[in-house]
Amino acid sequence: MPDESILSDDFVRELMNVGDVDIVVGVPTYNDGRTVGQVVQAVRAGLLKHFPRERSVIINADGGSRDGTQDLVRAASISDLSVASDLHALRTLHCISTQYEGGPANGIAMHTILAATDLLQARACAIVSPESTTLEPGWIERLLRPVFRDGKEMVLPVYRRAKFDGLLIRNLVYPMAKTLYGCSVREPYPADFAFSGELGSHFLSQDIWNQEQGRRGTELWMTLWAVIGKCKLAQSFLGTKTRREDAPSDLVGAMRETAGTLFSSLDSYASVWHSTPEPVEAPCLGCEPSVGEEASRLNRKRLHDMFTFGVKELDPVFLSILSSPTHEELKRLAALPEDRFAYSGELWARTVYEFATAFHKAVIGRDHIVQALVPLFRGRAYTFLTDNRDSSVDEMERNTESLCQAFEQQKPHLIDLWDGGK
Amino acid sequence: MAAQDALWYKDAVIYQVHVRAFYDSSGDGNGDFRGLAQKLDYLQELGITAIWLMPFFPSPLRDDGYDIADYRSVNPTYGTLDDFKTFLEAAHQRGIRVIIEMVLNHTSDQHPWFQESRSSRNNPRRDWYVWSDTDTKYKGTRLIFLDTELSNWAWDPVSKQYYWHRFFSHQPDLNYDNPQVREEMWDIMKFWLSMGVDAFRLDAVPYLVEREGTNCENLPETHQIIKDLRAQIDREFPGRMLLAEANQWPTDLRAYFGNGDEFHMAFHFPLMPRMFMGLKLEDRKPITEILKQTPEIPEVCQWCLFLRNHDELTLEMVTDMERDYMYDEYAKEKAMRLNLGIRRRLAPLLDNDRRKIELMNGLLMSLPGTPIIYYGDEIGMGDNVNLGDRHGVRTPMQWDGGWNGGFSTADPEGLYSPLMLNPVYGYQAINVQSQKRFDHSLLSWMKRLIKIRRATPVLGRGSIQFLYPANHRVLAYTRKLGNETILAVNNLSSKAQAVELDLKTYKGNILIEMFGRNIFPRIGELPYLLTLAPYQFFWFRLRKI
Repeated sequence: MPDESILSDDFVRELMNVGDVDIVVGVPTYNDGRTVGQVVQAVRAGLLKHFPRERSVIINADGGSRDGTQDLVRAASISDLSVASDLHALRTLHCISTQYEGGPANGIAMHTILAATDLLQARACAIVSPESTTLEPGWIERLLRPVFRDGKEMVLPVYRRAKFDGLLIRNLVYPMAKTLYGCSVREPYPADFAFSGELGSHFLSQDIWNQEQGRRGTELWMTLWAVIGKCKLAQSFLGTKTRREDAPSDLVGAMRETAGTLFSSLDSYASVWHSTPEPVEAPCLGCEPSVGEEASRLNRKRLHDMFTFGVKELDPVFLSILSSPTHEELKRLAALPEDRFAYSGELWARTVYEFATAFHKAVIGRDHIVQALVPLFRGRAYTFLTDNRDSSVDEMERNTESLCQAFEQQKPHLIDLWDGGK
Repeated sequence: MAAQDALWYKDAVIYQVHVRAFYDSSGDGNGDFRGLAQKLDYLQELGITAIWLMPFFPSPLRDDGYDIADYRSVNPTYGTLDDFKTFLEAAHQRGIRVIIEMVLNHTSDQHPWFQESRSSRNNPRRDWYVWSDTDTKYKGTRLIFLDTELSNWAWDPVSKQYYWHRFFSHQPDLNYDNPQVREEMWDIMKFWLSMGVDAFRLDAVPYLVEREGTNCENLPETHQIIKDLRAQIDREFPGRMLLAEANQWPTDLRAYFGNGDEFHMAFHFPLMPRMFMGLKLEDRKPITEILKQTPEIPEVCQWCLFLRNHDELTLEMVTDMERDYMYDEYAKEKAMRLNLGIRRRLAPLLDNDRRKIELMNGLLMSLPGTPIIYYGDEIGMGDNVNLGDRHGVRTPMQWDGGWNGGFSTADPEGLYSPLMLNPVYGYQAINVQSQKRFDHSLLSWMKRLIKIRRATPVLGRGSIQFLYPANHRVLAYTRKLGNETILAVNNLSSKAQAVELDLKTYKGNILIEMFGRNIFPRIGELPYLLTLAPYQFFWFRLRKI
């Protein structure tokens, strides 16, 4: 049974007025007033253009915004009370909003949207990020159509990104998910994606909503769950995804969401990754070259400095987490001048696996473990940027696949650590 | 008729019938006026207050009588002029008014006027029709019968000119720029009014006059012709009524009411498809939107509402997207489509779902306007899409389960139209006699509905105010006349619905459900919560006691 207590009485009243629907588009927000209006308008245009006959609702789950985010979402409603002259819609389109308790946390927002989707018996649900300012009406079609037309259970996005966007995905999430679960989708931690109502109900019925994955990294957890559950997946090319210039950079938060979720999943799915998983099929619909050629704006020297500083400062922590050879190798690296520094894929894979095992055994506080990975990731990011500075898109793809091979080669090390000694 | 109420048409419940389809008294396979007169008791019992007769004039019947060959007589198949007079008197004795068709725009090409007109270019009646040496005049005029006609001009090989026709090519348009034509048509109307006919339904009125550079519809000259006719009727036959058939948008239709000096009533064409659309979408938006766009009309005027009629369910007054939706939802088979519409009856359109049929009739009777019931829909008759043109919705009335469904004693092969025979809609399954036997039959329910409608003048004459509950599947409105207020709440959904209504204005009133007369809770400060079963509707009388 879904946990309906997540939904406030007022929100349930709104859902009652919406009634059963075919499509839910969920928009998790927190103080996104600068962008959410544009995004919701584009979603609405997409629904009107591509799904004019389907019963749809846009649901905003908000973490406590104080900048008018909720009003901007509600303003996109189409009803017989407020008819925009430039719109022609067969149906009423409700755009409703609720503030959930305990936020902001994307996982709670997701839980709220899933509960609403389940109650409304939607056939399909798309989640869109309020920061997806490049979202075009066609995105809605490309996310939802495979669910409606082809019976896909989950549709993940493929974006055209700047060359060095998504370093954490390339260096950690993608290779680890591919090696351990056979999941080779480009965006395993999606911002804009879709799933069937039935799969949404399965997500909802899992016992994670009071755990850490139910607060952050939930989208990644959903992808892994769908992959491991052998759901019918597809990827859909959406278009360009840009990062907001002024978007805050919270690497620790990102590490919690990604590494934290991945490490937790190893506990849940040990039997899966101990064997050799079948590669998961996720055909890409309309895919185009997905990496742009823009130069990196990241300050590599700063990455190197922060790695060096971190290795020195966190030495006692690493003693608890890492094996001696790995620890020694990292210290050796930290002593090297910048021009000779190279954090290899093999060493990085070993590092990550040792962190994952430490997380499993909770050798120290799990959140400390995840945080301690941050400076090391900066070192790895430095090397990745250096190695690929002049690479073509294809070369960078090959280098990413080489990293995956390194993770594959180190997998016995993970199994040894997991099942036996340090 | 008893003392005339000049606004009788506002309270009327109209029954549309084709003489040919109703009851055959002579056994020749065609319905006739004597037969219709024999069935007046049935109509009186049903509760209707007016009959609208489709054309019964002599005609080659290439357009079901809308191709008239003699305006002052009765098609011999249906009887004689005396038979008509007898029927008219019998109807009046039962308090039932009679509305007849008057096709002003065109005649049959078999009409003597046209035969004379085409006989030579010098014939005195040449100018009674619209002739041209070319087929290029009035280029801005749309084609109405898209499936059958290629042009509004047809070549006449006799006089070697083109003649103008807005409908079938065998229906040449009269030339209303000719004063003789106008005078003759008024004489014809006087002929019938003097006999006692209560009203005319004027067919195809927007098209009377043609002007270059226009779309030849709704022209000021056309309005002037209507004004002249109306003035003469008011002067010589007060209390008689004119009903416009003008398939136009409400804003264009508004002009046909003038300042209360053109038509008394006009069909609200755009509303009808939107009622079906709202039901299928389970969303009140199409209905409320079109009614919000409907302009105010003069106090003495009235809209005429209908669910189905003798024509296809016209989709001219909807957008392309809406039309596609309607076709996909209501006319999946190509044979169900005709021109820009759907040729089906009410019951098959609504999947023979009694709940939907009741809901739609409830809307018909409670939205602002005078309702029209198409013959046979009160028992849920079906259609035969295998018959050509619109004949599939004009099959014989089904009176009982016996020979020819009680319609005629002729051999079945001799009937003007095949009977409905299938096990769902055939006359043995759907007929008046069997439905009279049960209180819960559709016929019995329709009688109750009409009775309540007639006992509730506010439904005919009252203003409407929409409530906009947040639940868009529920269409709710109040009708108000003087101190009387009716609340109508309609669930357009196939699922049970809860709805909260803002009725603060009526705080302190008790709701009395009008079918069962049961009392519902008093209206208080809080939103009034109602739950409705799938497709259920309520009518409440508000009483402050």
